Amino acid sequence: MLQYSLRRILGMIPLLFLTSIVVFTLAKFMPGDPFGGEIDPSNTNPEYIEEMREKLGYNDPIHIQYIRWVTNFVQGDFGHSTAHKIPVFDLIVDRLPNTIFLAIVSLIITYIFAFAMGMYSGRRPYTWGDNLIAGYNYVGLAIPSFVAGIIAIYFFSFQLGWFPFAGSVEVGLQPGTWDYYISRMHHVLLPALILGLMGTASYTQFLRNDVIENSRKDFVRTARAKGTSESAIYNKHILRNSMIPLITFLGFDIATLIGGAVITETIFTYPGIGLLFLESVDRRDYAVLMTITMLLSFLTLLGNLIADLLYGIVDPRIRLG
Amino acid sequence: MKKKSFWLISLLLVFSMFLAACNSGNETSGNEKDGDKEEANTGEPVEGGKVTLAVTTAPEGVFEAAYYRSAVDAQILEFTGDEIYQVNDDLEYEPDLATWEISEDKLTYTFKFKEGVKWHNGEELTVEDWQFALETMADPDYDGERFNYVEGIKGAKAKKDGKADSIEGIKVIDDYTIAITFEEMKLNNLENLWSHPMPKKHFEGIAVADLGESEQVRTNPVGLGPFKVKSVKPGEYVELEKFADYYKGEPKLDSVVVKVIDASVANGALQNGEVDIMEVIPNQVEELEKMNHITVEETTGVGYSYIGLRFGHRDQEARTNKDDIDKFKNKDLRHALLYAIDRQAMIDAFLSGKGKVFNTVIPSTFWIAADESELTQYEYNPEKAKELLAGAGYKDVDGDGFVEDPDGEPFSISFGHYAGNATFEGRSQAIIQSWNDIGVKTELATGSLIEFNLYNDMKTEDDEALEAFFGSWSTGSDPDPSGLWANNAEWNFGRWVNEENDKLLNEALSEKAFDKDYRKEVYVEWQKLFNEEIPAIPLWENLDLYGINKRLQGVHINAVGFQTNTHEWYVTE
Repeated sequence: MLQYSLRRILGMIPLLFLTSIVVFTLAKFMPGDPFGGEIDPSNTNPEYIEEMREKLGYNDPIHIQYIRWVTNFVQGDFGHSTAHKIPVFDLIVDRLPNTIFLAIVSLIITYIFAFAMGMYSGRRPYTWGDNLIAGYNYVGLAIPSFVAGIIAIYFFSFQLGWFPFAGSVEVGLQPGTWDYYISRMHHVLLPALILGLMGTASYTQFLRNDVIENSRKDFVRTARAKGTSESAIYNKHILRNSMIPLITFLGFDIATLIGGAVITETIFTYPGIGLLFLESVDRRDYAVLMTITMLLSFLTLLGNLIADLLYGIVDPRIRLG
Repeated sequence: MKKKSFWLISLLLVFSMFLAACNSGNETSGNEKDGDKEEANTGEPVEGGKVTLAVTTAPEGVFEAAYYRSAVDAQILEFTGDEIYQVNDDLEYEPDLATWEISEDKLTYTFKFKEGVKWHNGEELTVEDWQFALETMADPDYDGERFNYVEGIKGAKAKKDGKADSIEGIKVIDDYTIAITFEEMKLNNLENLWSHPMPKKHFEGIAVADLGESEQVRTNPVGLGPFKVKSVKPGEYVELEKFADYYKGEPKLDSVVVKVIDASVANGALQNGEVDIMEVIPNQVEELEKMNHITVEETTGVGYSYIGLRFGHRDQEARTNKDDIDKFKNKDLRHALLYAIDRQAMIDAFLSGKGKVFNTVIPSTFWIAADESELTQYEYNPEKAKELLAGAGYKDVDGDGFVEDPDGEPFSISFGHYAGNATFEGRSQAIIQSWNDIGVKTELATGSLIEFNLYNDMKTEDDEALEAFFGSWSTGSDPDPSGLWANNAEWNFGRWVNEENDKLLNEALSEKAFDKDYRKEVYVEWQKLFNEEIPAIPLWENLDLYGINKRLQGVHINAVGFQTNTHEWYVTE
């Protein structure tokens, strides 16, 4: 397995290389640059803009710019944000914990609801309840997250006042205090609920189908024959078997963890990677934009690898090689 | 049994978390509601208090005037900083931190600083702080964008080019007196001089090249203003607390929070009291005006919109504009295009009435603005537009309903507009329709609204598709329009070149124009020229709009903004 992992990791290098070409070209093809856009005539002089473009190498041929970027990137220098004027690395490290926190909370919510609904549907397929759950899941899948976000803010923040509508923490709280963590939790709940409840469809339906399939198998018939109670059969024998394919979903979730919340973070002004990404597109902040995209590509590849490895671990019949 | 209790306990835990969350939420909103009621009863100022200012884009976090780039950072700097001079309601420059005298030859300005002004770190302000700012900005390593504010000082260019160690034209006389000598005599030398001192002690030991990225600028800035930065949460909020030793008097508020919110929830946040003040856009106004505890303040601002007409190209190498396109050379055609547009109707439809028709490109709030009686008003008159067209030889020869040019060749205009706000679609269609109605065939350039960055690129590169184009400017407080409309100005996007234009603009900056009345006279002449020539079609000046919760009082609003007197803001709860 070690050999297999190593081979896969080596195989990522050409893939990432190709991705980097696409990312770079697309970024540079966007019209404008960090110094175009809205000009404040009383505060900007054309000579400065020219000077900066020259200094940052925007006037060089594109392949030279690419080589320069890749060389620095490989050496761990992700460049400077033109808007924030600090190294991209610092900027991302600053935002990453927020995003991971949001992702984990929303994932827990997804798991809890998906398991409950999936088990129910699997046990009573084609009933009224099953159809209702399927209906809910597909509606959740169909509603864009920005619509759901705004509606949730309107009801839960403005009408009921249960949740804050923006930010990741109450203003002025000191990190490390108890209030601070409670406030963090309080701020993350609404966006996490939106993300979590809207994303249950694939888990639920997958679990449901697997439960149905398993319930027709021989070991279930045997268990029934020897008089095991229905709930023990479902909660113990079937659930354990049906969870195996779900575990592999975890691998794919890694990339979604970081990048899946772009729109939700923006609506909730939740300062994570997603919000940073959108801002950097707006401001043509190339270094930030390209670093985040590369990070996400890498995580997707890594997630695939983990998913494949997990397959091998949970189901010994699958041999990696 | 064991398992059941486990599930029960975990369920309980989850629910208690929800409840805890709900509780704390209820408390805050409850307090605010109480506050509103009290305010309605008393309306009396209260000691201290916290105010939330909302912004819809995140600050970039560069809290030093010489380095910042974003408008939001500028708003925070308004709270934390003060300047040598300030701009009054008529956009005239007045002494603030210093007074000045002008020498006989009008080249040397001697500034006398107020004594006893304190920085946030307790140091006293001296002229060295200002000298430090000017020297930093002329340093070859300075990577901010505002060298043009010190460029005019004698010897600043030499320092920038590395030929001198310090600026020749700066002479420190004592701690409170400094003399600045300019390279050449210009009327707006003062307006173009950098007016923010920099805390020299605070920046001690930092190389100029590293200054913009230093902690001292980003997380721990020091200013002179009524509020100081307490904490910065990047992308989320900046917390400001009052600076008790502020030289104009202790601020009445305890703290101000500048909070980032998404534009889509702005009205809701104002409604439920979580935001006390913010700049709003016309689309928001109708809803806000229905809320009892919100006032919408409006003032004529320094922003305006126009339709640019292309006369030529820019030679980027030589930095000159050449008028080599004849499409809009005919003055009657340009007049007709203006008469064809019902500007008031457009303001009502697309700006909720929050705009003012104007006929030059000088917003009326400037002291140089010409009286309307001196200008042609170009009221909506499609019949007159058709007459003008016919008189100029633009006639429908082939009977397709659209005019041909005087040589009988087909004539059409490609009109460009950028994408963004939802009203832009209607606005661009209204203009196209107006021109089609008088028989001038008009099409939307590229067939759809153009992405904003691309649009700017196209304007800069004189793209052929933009024969006519929608444009807006916000001008700042210097009345001189030459940065936007002079013959060779970069941002004269229509590339309008006119001898009289430059003559008047230069005259208004001449030595003779030190006499204010004369200067105004010259600018009025310029406006008459613009009004007669119509090198671009003036549409309307924008009103600046602010939504303010009634619990916040004492906010003075003028064309420069809403932050001129933040130390006098108070709350009534």
